[in-house]
Amino acid sequence: MPDAKNGLYEEKLKRYTIAMDVGKPDKVPIRLNPSEFVAKYAGLTHQEIYYEQHKNMGSVDKFLDDYDIDALLAPPSLWWATMHDAVGAVYYRFSGRQLEENRQFQYVEGEYMKADDYDEFIVDPTKWVLNHFLPRIHEEFAEPGSYRANVALIKGAIGFMMQNGAMHQAGVSWAEKYGLVTGITGIGKAPFDTLGDTLRGLTGVMKDMRKQPDKVKTAIEVLIPHNAYFAMATAAGDTVFPAFFPLHRGSYPFLNPQQWDNFYWPSLKAVIEDLWKHGKRVLFYAEGNWTPYLEKIAELPDKSIVFHVDTTDMEKAYEILGGRFCLSGNVPNTMMSHGKPEEVSEYCKRLIDKYARDGGFIMDTGGVMQMDVKAENLAALVETTRKYGVY
Amino acid sequence: MSSLTEPLSTAVAELEDDKVIDLVKERINSGIPPLEIVKNLQAGMTEVGSRFETGDYFLSELILAGEFMKEAMEILEPHLAGSNQEYRGTIVIGTVRGDVHDLGKNIVVMLLKGAGYNVVDLGVDVPSDKFVEAVKDTQTPLVAMSVLLTGCQEAMKEAIDALKGAGLQAKVMIGGNYVDESVLKSVGADYFGTVASDAVKFAEQVFAPQ
Repeated sequence: MPDAKNGLYEEKLKRYTIAMDVGKPDKVPIRLNPSEFVAKYAGLTHQEIYYEQHKNMGSVDKFLDDYDIDALLAPPSLWWATMHDAVGAVYYRFSGRQLEENRQFQYVEGEYMKADDYDEFIVDPTKWVLNHFLPRIHEEFAEPGSYRANVALIKGAIGFMMQNGAMHQAGVSWAEKYGLVTGITGIGKAPFDTLGDTLRGLTGVMKDMRKQPDKVKTAIEVLIPHNAYFAMATAAGDTVFPAFFPLHRGSYPFLNPQQWDNFYWPSLKAVIEDLWKHGKRVLFYAEGNWTPYLEKIAELPDKSIVFHVDTTDMEKAYEILGGRFCLSGNVPNTMMSHGKPEEVSEYCKRLIDKYARDGGFIMDTGGVMQMDVKAENLAALVETTRKYGVY
Repeated sequence: MSSLTEPLSTAVAELEDDKVIDLVKERINSGIPPLEIVKNLQAGMTEVGSRFETGDYFLSELILAGEFMKEAMEILEPHLAGSNQEYRGTIVIGTVRGDVHDLGKNIVVMLLKGAGYNVVDLGVDVPSDKFVEAVKDTQTPLVAMSVLLTGCQEAMKEAIDALKGAGLQAKVMIGGNYVDESVLKSVGADYFGTVASDAVKFAEQVFAPQ
């Protein structure tokens, strides 16, 4: 899109990619994940953005009219409830269905993979997913091979295509109208999180590490190529933008150091290294506190990740990772919700002064924003960064 | 690391789940008063809690302990009927309206129970009036509220306002991924905890003999 908005797209793209390469662009780039705040800002309910794609995507225009940012991580809702309803998903709850209209969606964690499923999973994960996992998490898919299940597969596939199409189209329109760059292409997970979030759940995986550690390790190894492929496939092969890796169970203090070293880290590192070999960077979205693990993370190849700081110690992250990896985030979500614009402004200035002076820094909040963010605080973040974040 | 010598307490502290269950069953069968067994379990849990506080144990250990403690208490429950357990006090706890996350809350419940408190767990997605009702019923001086993200913190404020509106004096401690001084002030709570063991410390303060 070279001509989009009179070269604005190129300008923002350059700003964003130079920072990710740990270089010094013209200004500190602003990449946000404003999520459901966007919906509230546009006067919409949760139910509307979960169920009505055009409203979900359309609300972003109002946001971009008022906030001058470089890159956006995603539209307000990544979940299209209509599609999940069509296949009878039991692991999500949405407003307008199980919840009131203005409540945030919920993920229902469960042991959707059983403790004795490991052997079958390890032999052929995809087959196991089709035969056991999908039927457990979708009512419409309860009996694989049945008429109902076959229709559910078709509905699900069509739903995904429709959603991806809508997202793509929206991305093109934002680039044209606002010069906006996408923050990410593709999505992936740490293999341990695939097992510990999605499949076995937290309690399940904690028990397994004690009762059947070898099987946990093998299952995680099996997931390495799968997760690397998934990130690349969902990015449609793009290597300009990073793949989004929301990371969960590796944050402190979930795992003890032995568990982190043995179960969490080697497989995540392998996925990141594999992607980097193909030129694909990872947005290491370290939710929570990762301070004790910074030295290990520094083992990754230079520039292979953008390390996102939520409640990790920013000073230590800069000390250990700065100069070799781009850093992003760290404006506290509590401040965005409960603080004053002056405080946000001061905080952003301090981040720029201390951590952005040599480049390699992207302004963002620590965690994904929610409806409770104050509009004036977000304005303070954007305006301060634009004013002070000039090289 | 520990000064525990009693075998059941030690098994709890060392997270030897099968041994804990075996010992509980064995002791019930040999006629040991169930309340004494509970006390031994609690001593072990207190040690688990302090190992967490010193950084020797992590959430993975607390979650495991939670699992076998649940199993042990299920075995003990029928035998406890009619016996008068002595508590250091009663605490009401719940995840506030709009939020269904219970991992943090359950860990706090486990540590408080382990420390000898009677915990009234209201569960998740708890509306304000349920907190008010429970505080009135129990006359507790301490309420604990959990919320994972900032999005549901407004519900915490609503619940605290409701308690105050009902003229209740109970102190409120809050916990979750994003709690700090600014959240404390904004919702009007008395304490905020950033790790599970903080809850036990606040309880000690509130229930300290005058």
